[in-house]
Amino acid sequence: MAAVTTVNSANRRRMTSLLGKPWSGVAVLLVFYIALIIVFSVLSPFFLSVRNMLSIGQNIAFVGLMAAAGTPLIIAGGLDLSVAAIAGLTGVAISILQGAGLDIWVAVALSLVIAAGVGIVNGLFTTRLRLNPLIVTLGMMSIVSGLSLVLTGGLTRPMMFPTFNWVGQGRVGGIPIPLVIMAVTFVALWVVLTRTRFGRFVYASGGNAEAARLIGIPVDRTIIVLYVISALSGAVAGIILCAMLGAAAPTSAGQYLLTVIAAIILGGTSLNGGRGSVWGTLLAILILGTLNNGLTLLNVSSFWQDVTRGVVLMLAVSLDQIRTRALGD
Amino acid sequence: MTSANTPRLTMKGIGKSFGGVPVLSNVDFTVAPGEVVALLGSNGAGKSTLMKILTGLYTRDGGTIAIDGREVTFASPAEAVAVGVRLLPQEISIMPDMTVAENIFVGDLPMKRSLGFLTVDDGAMRRRSRELLDQLGFGSIDPDTPMKRLAVAEQRIVEIARALAGQARILIMDEPTAALTEQEAHLIFKIIRRLKEQQVSVVYISHYLSEVFEISDQIVVLRDGKNAGTFATAATRQSEVLSAMLGNTVDDLYAVGGGVAPGADVLGVEKLSIPGKLSEIDFSIRAGEILGIFGLVGSGVEVLGRALYGALGPLKDGNVKLAGKTYRPLSPRAGKLAGIGFVAAERKKEGIIADLTVRENMALTFQERYERGLFVSEAAETANANNWISALGIRTRGPEQKIRTLSGGNQQKVCIARWLVDGVQLLILEEPTRGVDVGARKEIYGKLRELADRGFAVLVLSSDVEEVAGLSDRTLVLDRGRVVGRFARGASPAELMAATSDDPAFSAA
Repeated sequence: MAAVTTVNSANRRRMTSLLGKPWSGVAVLLVFYIALIIVFSVLSPFFLSVRNMLSIGQNIAFVGLMAAAGTPLIIAGGLDLSVAAIAGLTGVAISILQGAGLDIWVAVALSLVIAAGVGIVNGLFTTRLRLNPLIVTLGMMSIVSGLSLVLTGGLTRPMMFPTFNWVGQGRVGGIPIPLVIMAVTFVALWVVLTRTRFGRFVYASGGNAEAARLIGIPVDRTIIVLYVISALSGAVAGIILCAMLGAAAPTSAGQYLLTVIAAIILGGTSLNGGRGSVWGTLLAILILGTLNNGLTLLNVSSFWQDVTRGVVLMLAVSLDQIRTRALGD
Repeated sequence: MTSANTPRLTMKGIGKSFGGVPVLSNVDFTVAPGEVVALLGSNGAGKSTLMKILTGLYTRDGGTIAIDGREVTFASPAEAVAVGVRLLPQEISIMPDMTVAENIFVGDLPMKRSLGFLTVDDGAMRRRSRELLDQLGFGSIDPDTPMKRLAVAEQRIVEIARALAGQARILIMDEPTAALTEQEAHLIFKIIRRLKEQQVSVVYISHYLSEVFEISDQIVVLRDGKNAGTFATAATRQSEVLSAMLGNTVDDLYAVGGGVAPGADVLGVEKLSIPGKLSEIDFSIRAGEILGIFGLVGSGVEVLGRALYGALGPLKDGNVKLAGKTYRPLSPRAGKLAGIGFVAAERKKEGIIADLTVRENMALTFQERYERGLFVSEAAETANANNWISALGIRTRGPEQKIRTLSGGNQQKVCIARWLVDGVQLLILEEPTRGVDVGARKEIYGKLRELADRGFAVLVLSSDVEEVAGLSDRTLVLDRGRVVGRFARGASPAELMAATSDDPAFSAA
């Protein structure tokens, strides 16, 4: 009896000390991702083909882009629920501006400016007025998606311009362009977060805003910039989606918000701020995309896929909580 | 049941250690029914530990506690409350949006059955609140008023009523007058006298000796976790209590100045005022000097340093000169760029970024200095961290250790190291050794002296009288927002403490 207890507690201690390692979060995700690939490869002969892999990439790219930009924002203690709605509005805005006689690329540029403006408003409300970001961006989500419906009367507008559609459908060296954009974003944000002054300010602002302010770090400015980056990522995601579908649909993007937030949290970024990495988010996006794809190949109904995604998210968050305690908080 | 001679509370031979370090040893503490006993001692003497044991927050390692002659052991605060032990913490804790009556009964709401449902009996609650407030002599407070409309002193009174509603027999008041004016403090005294009449026993904790002498029957002094004297208040002079509190031995915690003559004025402050907090503060500090500012909680000692740094935003009243140039406190960033370093009192809340490493925490203040081109050079950060880890004797596994896993003293050294760069001339430290163990305290004092010798002007603001007396080259004493005393090196803790007391008889002694 006593011996058994000793072995158990020794195992537990080994387990806890393993989970307590700083890289363990990303490592757990990586193991899970590889396991997922193995399982689906065994169950479906179509799964492990280049074609299917690229198709997964194509499908996750615009969601991954938003999740990438949302990661530093959540690390800094913010949250952007309006990002997917901005994606929807962007498609609508481009379509309307182009319809009014502007060149398509001028319309694209203007839509980016609009998105940046929305990001600035999010940032100012949360920092200067000290409002809860959940409430501010929830309100903004409602405003932006409402406006998309108002502007289109709820109708989908066709967007068929070969050069524009190429952004969503084209390939460079065999790789879908949306995937290239997502990859570049992840690498750029990784460099910014780990190698620049701004990156340090992000972690400091989220880790302890009060202490950061007291040593003269521009906390508010940092957070406002991150809201703008998040809004811009929404705009680019909207452009990709619109170009992929060949149409601007006001409600096409809203459904992806939950996946964006789920990926960031699944990736180990703390909702309390101060902790997280873009690599965790990337792995989480890959896991969620693979899960979706694999279950589809296995003919599982898409209704079940929502359930599965929820279960994975809750498991991951529980594991992260255990991990955090192991780190001694 | 209980005879008139049975004490309400008897704590005997109480002992408590944390991690092998004894905090209380063999402490006795007795309170009779209807008696007011003041519990005194300087920071770290063991007062709060003793009271946490009494209220069931800590368990004792040794000794016995008896209430009305019956031995008790509390496994939780709820058990202590159940036998009538109530604590009024220093910070007023109320629900601002609830009514006075709701605040009084929130722990034990009177219920009634209406239409088969159990509901709160508002009528009974209001009636009993009125009775309680009348009993205390404050029938003027309406039980239906929202709590936030009351003055701070009235909120205190409601807190006391809440304790009485819970059948308090022993009421512990921790600095009950800290946020109050002198007149308001007298309202509290009036209530304490009523409580005595109702045979409630009061343990009164305060730094203000004049208050203690006005309201208490007995004074119990703790020093270094031991009993250092018990006095009948009426037959005692304040100086006797002070020497019991502070002792006559000067310990060697403090490094003596290196004999470096102070240089030019670094900071000059004239007529600095913040309405309601500071009025017409004048002082100056020179390079190579440690200036101590001592004051009790509420004296302004907790705002003066951060006001100068800029953490309270732009200051309107007063002239400040920094290194000969006019300087207006504006923001932390402006203060930093003007050459001021600031170490805040609440290390966890306002100092460290817990999840970042020692290296990152040290580099954050002047992050731009560690950039090579567009990118941060980790090598430069590491070199800086290693330098200060050895120069300040920071005990860590290395620059990559997360700062939250360091001890308080070592975290504090990191917070100091943040400011040790070219261009910073003035270091402002609030409560530099709060929550720091004795060994690390001595090291921090030594390092502050070294920094002064290297030419920094060091401004220390503290409510720890021994620390200020031991460390400073010169000392200012603050009370109620004013400078009430200026001392040269060598002033004793008792002299500094005496300056805060407005009792003329005592000041003469």
